[in-house]
Amino acid sequence: MKFSDVDVAVIGSGPAGMAAAIKAKEEGAEHVLILERQEQLGGLLHQCVHNGFGLLYFGQDLTGPEYACRFVEKVRDLGIEVLLETMVTQISVDRKLTAVNSREGPIHLQPKSIVLAMGCRERSRGQLSIPGTRPAGIFTAGTAQRLVNVEGFIPGKKVVILGSGDIGMIMARRLSLEGVEVKAVVEILPYVGGLIRNEVQCLHDFDIPLLLEHTVTQIHGEQRVEAVTLAKVDKNKRPVDGTEQNIECDTLLLSVGLIPENELSRMAGVDLDPLAGGPVVDERRETNIPGIFAGGNVVHVHDLVDDVSWEAEIAGAWAARLPQKGDLEKKGKTILRPGRNIRSIVPQTISDQSDVTFYIRVKEMEEKVRLRIGDIYHRAFRVVKPSEMIKVDLLKKELKRLKERTTELDVECEKGE
Amino acid sequence: MEQMETEVLIIGGGVLGAAVARELSRYKVDVILVEKEADFGWGSTKTNMCIVCQGGDTLEFRPEYHRSKLVWDSIPLMELLCQELDVPFKRVGELALIRNNEELGKFRKLKSKAEKFGLAGHQFIDQDTLRQMEPNITREAIAALYDPNIAIVDPVRLTIALIENAGQNGVKVMRETEVLNISQKGNQFEVGTNRGSMKCRFIVNAAGTSVDKIARLVNSDDFVLYPIRGYVGILDKNLGDLIKHEIHMRPDAPGQMNILTPSVHGNLFFGTTMQPARRGDYSTTRRIAQIGLQNVRKIIPDLSEKDIIHSFAGFLMFRNWEVGWHECVVQASRKVSRFISICIGYPGVSAAPGTGREVAELLRREGLRLESNPGFSPFRKASPNFSKLSEEQQKELIAQDSRYGHVVCRCETVTEGEIVEAVRRGATTLDGIKFRTRAGMGRCQGGFCTPRVTKILGRELGLPEEKITKKGRKSRLLLYKTKELLGGEL
Repeated sequence: MKFSDVDVAVIGSGPAGMAAAIKAKEEGAEHVLILERQEQLGGLLHQCVHNGFGLLYFGQDLTGPEYACRFVEKVRDLGIEVLLETMVTQISVDRKLTAVNSREGPIHLQPKSIVLAMGCRERSRGQLSIPGTRPAGIFTAGTAQRLVNVEGFIPGKKVVILGSGDIGMIMARRLSLEGVEVKAVVEILPYVGGLIRNEVQCLHDFDIPLLLEHTVTQIHGEQRVEAVTLAKVDKNKRPVDGTEQNIECDTLLLSVGLIPENELSRMAGVDLDPLAGGPVVDERRETNIPGIFAGGNVVHVHDLVDDVSWEAEIAGAWAARLPQKGDLEKKGKTILRPGRNIRSIVPQTISDQSDVTFYIRVKEMEEKVRLRIGDIYHRAFRVVKPSEMIKVDLLKKELKRLKERTTELDVECEKGE
Repeated sequence: MEQMETEVLIIGGGVLGAAVARELSRYKVDVILVEKEADFGWGSTKTNMCIVCQGGDTLEFRPEYHRSKLVWDSIPLMELLCQELDVPFKRVGELALIRNNEELGKFRKLKSKAEKFGLAGHQFIDQDTLRQMEPNITREAIAALYDPNIAIVDPVRLTIALIENAGQNGVKVMRETEVLNISQKGNQFEVGTNRGSMKCRFIVNAAGTSVDKIARLVNSDDFVLYPIRGYVGILDKNLGDLIKHEIHMRPDAPGQMNILTPSVHGNLFFGTTMQPARRGDYSTTRRIAQIGLQNVRKIIPDLSEKDIIHSFAGFLMFRNWEVGWHECVVQASRKVSRFISICIGYPGVSAAPGTGREVAELLRREGLRLESNPGFSPFRKASPNFSKLSEEQQKELIAQDSRYGHVVCRCETVTEGEIVEAVRRGATTLDGIKFRTRAGMGRCQGGFCTPRVTKILGRELGLPEEKITKKGRKSRLLLYKTKELLGGEL
């Protein structure tokens, strides 16, 4: 393979990276290259042996590895080039990319466009500052998932799970099936952090205790986790004195949030949105650095894998068009401003008046609200929750109603119907 | 373990024990060093953050103290030592922030004291210059006292380097070896450990937080020490550029300190509380964490809890008021011959080179013959640090061993080759790999690399992965295999 003439380089080969690469190839890019740091294509999908993947994208209920395989086959059939066990170590503002692997050593590329598809990582204990000792037996839920499903090990016999993110709930079920006693799933909020279907299928169906409005206030044990202290929290999420209880356990799993993985984006000078956690993108998923695109969980954490792939396809398609056209014409720039009870909105800007899908996350659960985008769109909701992303399709003709030179659009949840 | 015999037994593989071992390896002396943990520098050494006092900052601790002398003796030795041992040493300088006239007065006294003791380079910095030097720090600082001499090191890496160099020069090292009892037979000590007993003529007690306990084993309790617990927080590498100098602010409450410093690896460290606590209780509390954040925010106002990637507590041993909080123990026992105890408290790392020399002298006075070791080499080569190498060097390394092209820890760009080399040099645990290579020290705190490092450790040590521990003893990481708990056949 000649590294000198790559049209589209895709960093990461999870559900975003493979979808972006395939789309780029289908849209006519000649040399599409995937750079993947693991031993195989698929990113984290391999450790997700549960079902629920592809319900929307394929209209079928697949497991993670099955979902990955569909894309892997296509990558192969289309002749997309792949570098495995290859770590991208640097991207510069002018799209110079440096990677390293055992076979080639340091590699330099100058692709015509780049798609960032590095996904996300889990928040660690340090970022939560949970007080207590520093014993063995504290893992993030995703690390535990890899240990159980890929490596064949069970971290411990008595487990407490802090946080009710999807991976945490799925691991509660997975570990129960392995004969592990899952003592509790502890959530600081008054509702679960993940999908309702996981609350039902992973916790209720397996009689796993769910403690809402509780948190872990102390970890005990010098060598290995021996117990954790739980406490009820007040409205400000502060532990309430006198409600502490000790739970004996040998393992604490953390499922307390995902963070888009943007170290490379930062190096490349890509502007990041502190609310969504990833690059500021327009509806083409192009970042502020021309020729650098981003899609999937690296932009913002999605609820469903199907959306990850779809979003990355947008990035892949436009990344393919750039080398062919040389320049992507933009008509203007409208910034979407998150207003009342809006945590984040992607894309953060629109540069053209073509069809666009907005992904919106609210800050807090709220009943009977009306979601409004400027004066061109509104919709009533019985309830909105942070754990359920809202998708809004705006068609070209609706966007046409935007007045000329509209530079800012407010997005907000209004109280009342 | 068969009965071992040696001339000198050093108890404790922290920075002080290691410095003594390395110093004694200059001479033709049989030395064994025992460490109770699975690796070196995990006690007070690691709590010492990374600052090397280079003069002025020791003055607050009174010049007449023995400890000040040891630090001053060490000043000209430290940089050379780091060069010889191929460990990073960076002179960052200290800015002691001044917020009001009262503080200005205190620092004026300090400066004139420094000059009296011949410590050069201290100067007052006005607000504008301070802004230029450190644009991100609090607007409350109206001036600062600048000490250009202050440097930073990695205390654990320094300790490991000292041990490795001592080893090259003939010192025997035993880990996971805890001293349980000591008896005297004639002119020998018989020392019982969890791995059998050994005989020796001299003992250097550098047991860190257990130094008083070890002294009591021979009824040589001529000093009293109090455990003081410190709290250290580590900030995300993204914020590594926030400050360039070590920043010191006078604490607003007793039992606190307020220091924010760059580290040689690019993260910022902050230390905030120093309070008496039950020995061995390494737990952090919500309250201490809050004080920590409040204090560090006095220096950099817009830091948030999310910027802290790790925090931990550690112990330093301090003497009582009568002797002086800031005095140390570096002395031959008055009751038992050939038994020397050393404990600096703070700043142990800064005082280590001088203490090594002084202990050699104390041993000589107790009757140890010090004849120079003709085979002694002061040089030790660090293992390759892939991410810091030039591309040519990277290429060469990968050509020699392709495992240097396989990145295992993505946050800190640590390769399989580095992990394998760390095992070859003695790492046996996940934390050992962490301190030696930084794998798992980044912002994901091992989320990605823990299963991978565990696998490499198992493979290189020839152990099943279930036997791999976080930090030795009973800290196993993976307790069962899948299906094992279901009672069926595997």
